[in-house]
Amino acid sequence: MRRSSLYMIITASVLVICFCALLMMIFDYHGAREEAGAAYIERGAIDTGAANLVSAIYLNYRLFDTLFELLVFSVAVLGVRFYLAEQRGSEEEVARIPESQVIRTAADLLFPPILLLGIYLVLFGHLSPGGGFGGGTVAGTGLLLCAVALGADVVARRFHEAALERFEWEILLAILLLVLIPVLLGRLPFTDLLPRGRLGSLASGGSILIYNALIGIKVFIGTWVVIYSFVRHRGEI
Amino acid sequence: MMVALLPLVHFGFAALSLAWGRVTRELILLSLVFDAVLVGLLSAGLSQGKPLVIVLGGWEKGIGIELAADRFSLGLTILVLLLGGAVVAYLWHERLRPYFFMLLHLLLGSVYTLVFARDLFNIYVTLELLTLVSFLLVGYERKPYQIWASLKYLLLASLGLGIYLLGVAIIYYHTGTLNLGLVAARLAAEQGTPWVLLASSLLVTGVAVKSGIFIFSLWLPAAHSSATPAVSALLSGLVIKMGVVVLFRLTSAFSLSLPLLVLGALTGLLGVIYAIFTYDLKRMLAFHTLSQIGYITLGIGIGSEIGIAGSLEYIVGHGLFKGLLFLAAGVAVQTAGEGDIPGLIARRAKIPVSARVALLVGTLGIIGVPPLAGFCGKSLLSAGVQSPVIQTVLILISLGTVASFAKLIPLFRIERGPSSTWPVKLAFVILGLPIVLFLPLARLLVPAAQLSLSLHVLPFVKSLLAVGGGFLLYRLLSRRPFHLPQRIFRLEEAILVILSGFFLIYLLSVLG
Amino acid sequence: MGAINGVTIAIVLFGIGLLGLILRRDLVIKLLALGLVNGSTILCLVSLNARVDGVAPIVHSQASAPYVDPLPHALVLSAIVINFAILALALVFVMLLVERYHTTDSQRIEHEIEGERIP
Repeated sequence: MRRSSLYMIITASVLVICFCALLMMIFDYHGAREEAGAAYIERGAIDTGAANLVSAIYLNYRLFDTLFELLVFSVAVLGVRFYLAEQRGSEEEVARIPESQVIRTAADLLFPPILLLGIYLVLFGHLSPGGGFGGGTVAGTGLLLCAVALGADVVARRFHEAALERFEWEILLAILLLVLIPVLLGRLPFTDLLPRGRLGSLASGGSILIYNALIGIKVFIGTWVVIYSFVRHRGEI
Repeated sequence: MMVALLPLVHFGFAALSLAWGRVTRELILLSLVFDAVLVGLLSAGLSQGKPLVIVLGGWEKGIGIELAADRFSLGLTILVLLLGGAVVAYLWHERLRPYFFMLLHLLLGSVYTLVFARDLFNIYVTLELLTLVSFLLVGYERKPYQIWASLKYLLLASLGLGIYLLGVAIIYYHTGTLNLGLVAARLAAEQGTPWVLLASSLLVTGVAVKSGIFIFSLWLPAAHSSATPAVSALLSGLVIKMGVVVLFRLTSAFSLSLPLLVLGALTGLLGVIYAIFTYDLKRMLAFHTLSQIGYITLGIGIGSEIGIAGSLEYIVGHGLFKGLLFLAAGVAVQTAGEGDIPGLIARRAKIPVSARVALLVGTLGIIGVPPLAGFCGKSLLSAGVQSPVIQTVLILISLGTVASFAKLIPLFRIERGPSSTWPVKLAFVILGLPIVLFLPLARLLVPAAQLSLSLHVLPFVKSLLAVGGGFLLYRLLSRRPFHLPQRIFRLEEAILVILSGFFLIYLLSVLG
Repeated sequence: MGAINGVTIAIVLFGIGLLGLILRRDLVIKLLALGLVNGSTILCLVSLNARVDGVAPIVHSQASAPYVDPLPHALVLSAIVINFAILALALVFVMLLVERYHTTDSQRIEHEIEGERIP
């Protein structure tokens, strides 16, 4: 690896060190603030019915940000597929890991619990840490485990047959409608589609459950699409 | 409520465009009509004079996300409508995949959100979406130079927004809120403390990367000149303005006048200097965007009502003529087969007449010939300026603008030529007409009292003098081609320049 | 400088990532450095109001310890997804470039592109 010129190294180091030093000296950070987040802590559970205050924030108070984040995610998945689907890609099948009884057995044993864990994280996102994003990613990487065991193309074919790729943006549309329709009807609160219920039980938290479920499915599909695109069209130097 | 509806509708249309791939063009037309209706309702709602504020979800400001529409944002939505309509017309006959239209809808939706945004983190997320969408649009045709330009853009923008997020962290830690209005209130007591200056410098640096300020937006010439003409028109005319709009919103919470004035002056001057000595048409237009952003930033830095009104007029005006110029340049380069200005001049017989007329109108606008769009904006800006230094800078930028566009003159001889298709002509008219008949538009944007300030004899004379002076300058300079440093546009050097720029802003904040 | 806490470490990591982004020529390493930069911002946000005696912001009836501020965690969720999207798309573009120019060296690629296109 050739080195950058000396002047670049010196200038860069000087600038970066000054930047970090300036930040550290002036941030004026002295530990946690006492009343940090007090408004959310006091009212969060009462307002939204969800025990997990972080879920309450990003799926209720600040749902708009989460909407943008979902759009970013969708754009990323679509972009990856758009660019890589047209590459020549490896002509031969994705190379399989040599047939190994250990891997197949392990995958057989592990995949159901992983999927279950993902579903649990999604469904209980309003009661304990987790939520749609975490649960969806767990389930998506469970699929990756399947791909390692069975071969990526086998999994992709099954996936395609279930028409899951198109399902993804339909879910996006559903989420958008969930957000949009209350606004159209003139009511700003857009998170009350389900009852608030008793704090701490599964049936609580308003529509946070719906959102978590939809996001979970979406992230699950999206993660697999991205992983498979990279595996299939991995290109060469 | 309309305020929230505008972006959401576009996101809905984005998803729909993917679903019904066959009617994407009709869908986007429909969405623009819808927008026009909503904007009309919005302006009716604003006529009482107070800004319309909603907090999404019905919570209070400190807890939910706030969107607010004021007169400034109304002016911007008019620009979005016009530019959107023109781009749709321009692209009517092109074969584009539904994916492209989805990206367009997302772009429009994010722009609408930024026009109304008042929440620091909401701005971050929207800017990231806008970055990704622009990045994908620039690289749509997959040519290598486009891919490299957009990759540079993504890396630099992502770095910039990371710096922005650090600033948000500092602000949140000390004030406990992300809402700009509340931050302004809580900071009122503490202006001048080191962390306020540091945080504001970080925020400004981050946004400046996306705003087209010269030191920070070194990705711009490559990215805007490599993209397809419609995309360049949207990026230069609309997307880059959103960065400046965010800077304007930030000024309500932090005192940023000195940094903005200096940055505006630097951008304006450096942009025209590079533009004068660039002979590739699209690249020159991109450098021009940088320098006109300098104008707008100066207006915002001045901070007075007249300055802000001038900036708004110039944002709309520049969006119109830069959009028109890019679209016309696209047609010209396509038909002549050549991107260099001398080459275009040699082959001008191949360029459609409408494109050449459009280039002429756009050039007249950007030069500031009265009573077109550019003149109104520039005269209002100069009317709002007290200090002679800034006046001189404004005049210098005008001279440079004229000088850099003077090399297009041989293109404007209206001879016979092929004609372009009717949607393209429609696009030119949609943008060109408001440029020429800018005064009625200006009356919508700016209160009448301020408008009349700009319509005296003195500004007329000044602008004509500027035009004349610019021609002389061009004559002088055209004899000696000058090679300006191009190294700063490389990736690594650009990052170093951004870091130095941050220190510059911090220093200016401390001094100011 | 204050004690060693999350924010200080985040700033140091930010600097390291920044240096990597500038000084390393390999495009893939630049992407990793960018990931580090964004990750350090996330670390800074998370450790903003972290406290040793705090408890995760999940409301139980027996609230013994003070709850940690939940807002930065919500912000970080969005930031992580956005960073994933950026890295994925940047990686795709790097792959396209590498396939075309047969090298991952950013300076070589820039050189070749400038050569192809007359400025």
